[in-house]
Amino acid sequence: MNKLGVILAVIIITIIAWVTASLSASPSETVNLDMGRTHGTISTAMGSPILGDPSAPITIVEFGDYQCHQCYNWFHNTKPAIFQEYIETGKVNLVFVDLAFLGRDSPKAAQATYCAEDQEMYWEYHDTLYTSQESKIDSGWANTERLKAFAFNMELDMELFDSCLDSGKYSKRVQYNSQQARDHGVRGTPGFFIVGPDGQEQLGGAQPFSVFKQILDTMI
Amino acid sequence: MIFAIKTVYSNSKYLFLSVVIFSTMLVGLLILSEYIFLEPYVVSHIPSGTEFGFVLIVTISALSALVLPMNIFRINILKKSKQKMGGGIFGSIIGAAAGACSCGPIGFAVISTFGSVGATATAFLTNYEIPIRIIAIGILAITYFTTVKSLKTECKFDPNS
Repeated sequence: MNKLGVILAVIIITIIAWVTASLSASPSETVNLDMGRTHGTISTAMGSPILGDPSAPITIVEFGDYQCHQCYNWFHNTKPAIFQEYIETGKVNLVFVDLAFLGRDSPKAAQATYCAEDQEMYWEYHDTLYTSQESKIDSGWANTERLKAFAFNMELDMELFDSCLDSGKYSKRVQYNSQQARDHGVRGTPGFFIVGPDGQEQLGGAQPFSVFKQILDTMI
Repeated sequence: MIFAIKTVYSNSKYLFLSVVIFSTMLVGLLILSEYIFLEPYVVSHIPSGTEFGFVLIVTISALSALVLPMNIFRINILKKSKQKMGGGIFGSIIGAAAGACSCGPIGFAVISTFGSVGATATAFLTNYEIPIRIIAIGILAITYFTTVKSLKTECKFDPNS
């Protein structure tokens, strides 16, 4: 009986030790993904969290690169009006999907946004990148050190953020998103799909608010 | 200066050529630089912060439209060398190339086809878009003044002019 008890104790201790070891070896970040999420024909499962009311009848899917200056133009000139008139009012929501192709720092910047998402700061980090964008591609403004500095300034948990970014945890996620863009014929950034109840419309480039308004108003 | 312009553009063929060059370059560069969109509606806009880029595009188009027909005139009418024509074409091409935004379809195609080499090339054109356009304007301006000077001299001494 005692012998059996010792054997059982050893097995239990071994299992506990194994579970503890595996948990400490892998990063403790959680991945919050709805793997079945689609908007129109686009799989947005690996994209950003939804900005705005998830039950809004229309979704704008934006394909972008954090080093693209036209995306910067759209972010500063068109998006605020769309946000105010359509997203805040619950008529439209927005999902950002990466098409990180411009330079070597582009995929890393996209991965960093998902590391921020682990700490529920995706959109804050996204906005920080587009606010901090410098005009030159791969000039160092979005290198690993700067990406970590942005996270530090946002008071994220740096141990979690660093381990996430350094391990390339979201590298495949960004690749998947870029492939989604290519599969849907996106040939530059920013690229948009406006997905409504009766179908979807594709838009290329940093188009002005008037164009979005015209399309959105016909869909609502 | 006015003499040279009058000499060339009194011929309606060269005036027409100039209008075609100006409108083609202007519209082409404005589309490339996303000041004009053709789909889903034809719409033009100048986003804030990009006004200087717009002025440079208009200047390059205007100078190209001025310089290229003058040089074609020199070659056709005066049977002169094509040397100065090179400056005008070179200035127009580098001015246009700087507008091939790496975010857009051209940059995307180049990067997709040539990989990191293409990315480096388009990044260079994007990073130095404004200085490249200023250099192009400089080349076109120099070509314009040298062409005007030669036209004055050549027309004076050419018995057929």
